[in-house]
Amino acid sequence: MGPFLRLGNAAAAAGMATILLVAFGLQFGLKEFPCPLCNLQRVAFVLCGFGFLLNLRFGAQPLHYALTLLGALFGLAVSGRQVLLHVAPGGSAYGSPMLGLHLYTWALLLFLAVIVLVALLMMFSARPEHHNTDHQAALRFRGVYRLAAYLLIAATLANVANSFLLCGPFECSDNPTDYWISKYLPT
Amino acid sequence: MTGLIFLVAAIAMMTALAGYRGVAIGLFGVSFVGAVLWFDRHMTDPLSLSL
Repeated sequence: MGPFLRLGNAAAAAGMATILLVAFGLQFGLKEFPCPLCNLQRVAFVLCGFGFLLNLRFGAQPLHYALTLLGALFGLAVSGRQVLLHVAPGGSAYGSPMLGLHLYTWALLLFLAVIVLVALLMMFSARPEHHNTDHQAALRFRGVYRLAAYLLIAATLANVANSFLLCGPFECSDNPTDYWISKYLPT
Repeated sequence: MTGLIFLVAAIAMMTALAGYRGVAIGLFGVSFVGAVLWFDRHMTDPLSLSL
Protein backbone atom coordinates (compact mmCIF):
# COMPACT_ATOMS: atom_id res chain seq x y z
CA MET A 1 0.00 0.00 0.00
CA GLY A 2 1.50 3.31 -1.09
CA PRO A 3 1.92 6.25 1.28
CA PHE A 4 -1.04 8.12 -0.26
CA LEU A 5 -3.35 5.18 0.25
CA ARG A 6 -2.01 4.50 3.72
CA LEU A 7 -2.52 8.16 4.68
CA GLY A 8 -6.04 8.03 3.23
CA ASN A 9 -6.91 5.05 5.40
CA ALA A 10 -5.35 6.71 8.48
CA ALA A 11 -7.29 9.91 7.80
CA ALA A 12 -10.50 7.92 7.37
CA ALA A 13 -9.98 6.02 10.65
CA ALA A 14 -9.17 9.27 12.45
CA GLY A 15 -12.20 10.85 10.78
CA MET A 16 -14.53 8.18 12.16
CA ALA A 17 -13.03 8.75 15.63
CA THR A 18 -13.46 12.52 15.23
CA ILE A 19 -17.13 12.11 14.31
CA LEU A 20 -17.66 10.06 17.47
CA LEU A 21 -15.85 12.68 19.56
CA VAL A 22 -17.87 15.54 18.04
CA ALA A 23 -21.05 13.61 18.93
CA PHE A 24 -19.75 13.41 22.50
CA GLY A 25 -19.04 17.14 22.48
CA LEU A 26 -22.60 17.91 21.43
CA GLN A 27 -23.99 15.42 23.95
CA PHE A 28 -22.16 17.00 26.86
CA GLY A 29 -22.17 20.58 25.56
CA LEU A 30 -25.86 20.80 24.65
CA LYS A 31 -26.99 18.23 27.24
CA GLU A 32 -28.77 16.23 24.53
CA PHE A 33 -28.82 12.51 25.17
CA PRO A 34 -28.50 10.14 22.22
CA CYS A 35 -31.63 8.15 21.34
CA PRO A 36 -31.39 4.39 20.53
CA LEU A 37 -31.17 5.09 16.78
CA CYS A 38 -28.52 7.77 17.41
CA ASN A 39 -26.47 5.22 19.36
CA LEU A 40 -26.83 2.72 16.51
CA GLN A 41 -25.49 5.36 14.11
CA ARG A 42 -22.45 5.68 16.35
CA VAL A 43 -22.09 1.88 16.18
CA ALA A 44 -22.15 2.16 12.38
CA PHE A 45 -19.31 4.72 12.42
CA VAL A 46 -17.28 2.32 14.58
CA LEU A 47 -18.00 -0.52 12.13
CA CYS A 48 -16.89 1.72 9.24
CA GLY A 49 -13.65 2.53 11.05
CA PHE A 50 -12.89 -1.14 11.62
CA GLY A 51 -12.20 -1.78 7.92
CA PHE A 52 -9.82 1.19 7.75
CA LEU A 53 -8.04 -0.06 10.86
CA LEU A 54 -7.59 -3.50 9.26
CA ASN A 55 -6.10 -1.81 6.18
CA LEU A 56 -3.60 0.04 8.37
CA ARG A 57 -2.58 -3.06 10.29
CA PHE A 58 -2.63 -5.76 7.58
CA GLY A 59 -2.44 -3.81 4.31
CA ALA A 60 -5.25 -2.84 1.91
CA GLN A 61 -7.47 -5.74 0.90
CA PRO A 62 -10.92 -5.87 -0.72
CA LEU A 63 -12.32 -7.74 2.29
CA HIS A 64 -11.43 -4.84 4.59
CA TYR A 65 -13.13 -2.33 2.31
CA ALA A 66 -16.16 -4.63 2.17
CA LEU A 67 -16.45 -4.52 5.97
CA THR A 68 -16.38 -0.72 5.86
CA LEU A 69 -19.08 -0.74 3.18
CA LEU A 70 -21.24 -3.04 5.32
CA GLY A 71 -20.89 -0.60 8.21
CA ALA A 72 -21.76 2.35 5.97
CA LEU A 73 -24.83 0.57 4.53
CA PHE A 74 -26.02 -0.27 8.02
CA GLY A 75 -25.52 3.37 9.01
CA LEU A 76 -27.46 4.52 5.94
CA ALA A 77 -30.37 2.25 6.91
CA VAL A 78 -30.45 3.56 10.50
CA SER A 79 -29.99 7.25 9.70
CA GLY A 80 -32.36 6.98 6.72
CA ARG A 81 -35.03 5.51 8.98
CA GLN A 82 -34.59 8.33 11.47
CA VAL A 83 -34.78 10.95 8.73
CA LEU A 84 -38.03 9.34 7.52
CA LEU A 85 -39.41 9.38 11.07
CA HIS A 86 -39.03 13.15 11.22
CA VAL A 87 -39.37 14.21 7.60
CA ALA A 88 -43.12 14.82 7.55
CA PRO A 89 -44.01 18.55 7.73
CA GLY A 90 -45.23 19.58 11.15
CA GLY A 91 -43.59 16.62 12.81
CA SER A 92 -41.14 17.01 15.63
CA ALA A 93 -37.40 16.52 15.17
CA TYR A 94 -34.96 14.95 17.60
CA GLY A 95 -32.25 17.20 19.03
CA SER A 96 -30.96 20.57 17.93
CA PRO A 97 -29.85 21.24 14.35
CA MET A 98 -26.18 21.82 13.63
CA LEU A 99 -25.35 24.07 10.67
CA GLY A 100 -28.95 23.76 9.54
CA LEU A 101 -29.22 19.99 9.61
CA HIS A 102 -30.03 17.55 12.39
CA LEU A 103 -27.37 15.07 13.41
CA TYR A 104 -29.13 12.10 11.80
CA THR A 105 -29.22 13.99 8.49
CA TRP A 106 -25.51 14.75 8.83
CA ALA A 107 -24.96 11.07 9.59
CA LEU A 108 -26.83 10.06 6.42
CA LEU A 109 -24.61 12.36 4.35
CA LEU A 110 -21.45 11.13 6.10
CA PHE A 111 -22.29 7.47 5.45
CA LEU A 112 -22.76 8.34 1.78
CA ALA A 113 -19.38 10.12 1.90
CA VAL A 114 -17.78 6.98 3.40
CA ILE A 115 -19.06 4.92 0.47
CA VAL A 116 -17.63 7.46 -2.00
CA LEU A 117 -14.32 7.50 -0.09
CA VAL A 118 -14.06 3.71 -0.17
CA ALA A 119 -14.71 3.78 -3.92
CA LEU A 120 -11.89 6.34 -4.36
CA LEU A 121 -9.47 4.42 -2.15
CA MET A 122 -10.22 1.21 -4.06
CA MET A 123 -9.65 3.01 -7.36
CA PHE A 124 -6.19 4.06 -6.21
CA SER A 125 -5.39 0.66 -4.73
CA ALA A 126 -3.02 -1.46 -6.73
CA ARG A 127 -3.14 -5.20 -6.23
CA PRO A 128 -4.42 -6.56 -2.93
CA GLU A 129 -1.52 -7.01 -0.55
CA HIS A 130 -1.97 -10.72 0.10
CA HIS A 131 1.70 -11.28 -0.67
CA ASN A 132 2.87 -9.23 2.30
CA THR A 133 3.82 -11.12 5.41
CA ASP A 134 2.26 -10.13 8.70
CA HIS A 135 5.70 -9.09 9.87
CA GLN A 136 6.08 -6.62 6.99
CA ALA A 137 2.64 -5.15 7.61
CA ALA A 138 3.30 -4.87 11.35
CA LEU A 139 6.59 -3.06 10.72
CA ARG A 140 4.83 -0.38 8.65
CA PHE A 141 2.11 0.05 11.27
CA ARG A 142 3.68 2.84 13.29
CA GLY A 143 3.66 6.62 13.80
CA VAL A 144 0.59 8.45 12.62
CA TYR A 145 -1.03 5.21 11.39
CA ARG A 146 -0.81 3.64 14.84
CA LEU A 147 -2.05 6.91 16.37
CA ALA A 148 -5.15 6.89 14.13
CA ALA A 149 -5.92 3.31 15.16
CA TYR A 150 -5.50 4.10 18.85
CA LEU A 151 -7.73 7.16 18.51
CA LEU A 152 -10.48 5.03 16.98
CA ILE A 153 -10.19 2.41 19.72
CA ALA A 154 -10.25 5.11 22.42
CA ALA A 155 -13.41 6.64 20.90
CA THR A 156 -15.02 3.19 20.78
CA LEU A 157 -14.14 2.46 24.42
CA ALA A 158 -15.54 5.86 25.41
CA ASN A 159 -18.80 4.84 23.71
CA VAL A 160 -18.82 1.57 25.66
CA ALA A 161 -18.73 3.55 28.91
CA ASN A 162 -21.20 6.17 27.66
CA SER A 163 -23.75 3.59 26.50
CA PHE A 164 -23.55 1.68 29.75
CA LEU A 165 -23.87 4.82 31.89
CA LEU A 166 -26.78 6.05 29.76
CA CYS A 167 -28.76 2.84 29.24
CA GLY A 168 -27.31 0.32 31.67
CA PRO A 169 -27.38 -3.33 30.64
CA PHE A 170 -30.91 -2.95 29.31
CA GLU A 171 -32.74 -1.15 26.54
CA CYS A 172 -32.36 2.61 26.27
CA SER A 173 -35.52 4.67 26.56
CA ASP A 174 -36.77 6.21 23.31
CA ASN A 175 -36.23 9.73 24.60
CA PRO A 176 -33.65 9.58 27.39
CA THR A 177 -33.62 12.50 29.80
CA ASP A 178 -30.99 11.32 32.26
CA TYR A 179 -28.27 8.73 32.72
CA TRP A 180 -29.33 5.30 33.92
CA ILE A 181 -26.50 5.33 36.44
CA SER A 182 -27.83 8.52 38.06
CA LYS A 183 -30.61 6.47 39.69
CA TYR A 184 -27.97 4.75 41.77
CA LEU A 185 -25.87 7.79 42.65
CA PRO A 186 -26.47 9.80 45.80
CA THR A 187 -28.00 13.20 45.06
CA MET B 1 -27.16 -3.72 24.93
CA THR B 2 -25.65 -1.05 22.66
CA GLY B 3 -22.76 -0.88 25.12
CA LEU B 4 -22.20 -4.60 24.57
CA ILE B 5 -22.10 -4.11 20.79
CA PHE B 6 -19.54 -1.32 21.24
CA LEU B 7 -17.54 -3.55 23.57
CA VAL B 8 -17.38 -6.43 21.07
CA ALA B 9 -16.31 -3.96 18.34
CA ALA B 10 -13.59 -2.54 20.61
CA ILE B 11 -12.31 -6.04 21.41
CA ALA B 12 -12.33 -6.81 17.67
CA MET B 13 -10.12 -3.76 17.03
CA MET B 14 -7.68 -4.65 19.79
CA THR B 15 -7.54 -8.23 18.52
CA ALA B 16 -6.73 -6.90 15.06
CA LEU B 17 -3.92 -4.77 16.46
CA ALA B 18 -2.54 -7.86 18.19
CA GLY B 19 -2.35 -9.53 14.77
CA TYR B 20 -5.26 -11.99 14.94
CA ARG B 21 -7.06 -10.98 11.77
CA GLY B 22 -9.45 -13.94 11.56
CA VAL B 23 -10.63 -13.60 15.14
CA ALA B 24 -11.04 -9.84 14.69
CA ILE B 25 -13.21 -10.28 11.60
CA GLY B 26 -15.28 -12.89 13.45
CA LEU B 27 -15.86 -10.45 16.30
CA PHE B 28 -16.76 -7.76 13.76
CA GLY B 29 -19.38 -10.17 12.40
CA VAL B 30 -20.81 -10.71 15.88
CA SER B 31 -21.08 -6.96 16.52
CA PHE B 32 -22.56 -6.34 13.05
CA VAL B 33 -25.25 -9.02 13.46
CA GLY B 34 -25.97 -7.75 16.98
CA ALA B 35 -26.36 -4.21 15.67
CA VAL B 36 -28.71 -5.31 12.87
CA LEU B 37 -30.86 -7.32 15.31
CA TRP B 38 -30.95 -4.39 17.73
CA PHE B 39 -31.96 -2.06 14.90
CA ASP B 40 -34.75 -4.46 13.96
CA ARG B 41 -35.98 -4.35 17.56
CA HIS B 42 -36.14 -0.55 17.43
CA MET B 43 -38.04 -0.31 14.14
CA THR B 44 -41.35 -0.06 15.95
CA ASP B 45 -42.51 3.52 15.38
CA PRO B 46 -44.78 3.82 12.36
CA LEU B 47 -43.66 6.21 9.65
CA SER B 48 -46.18 8.96 8.85
CA LEU B 49 -45.16 9.86 5.34
CA SER B 50 -48.55 10.47 3.69
CA LEU B 51 -49.67 14.09 3.59
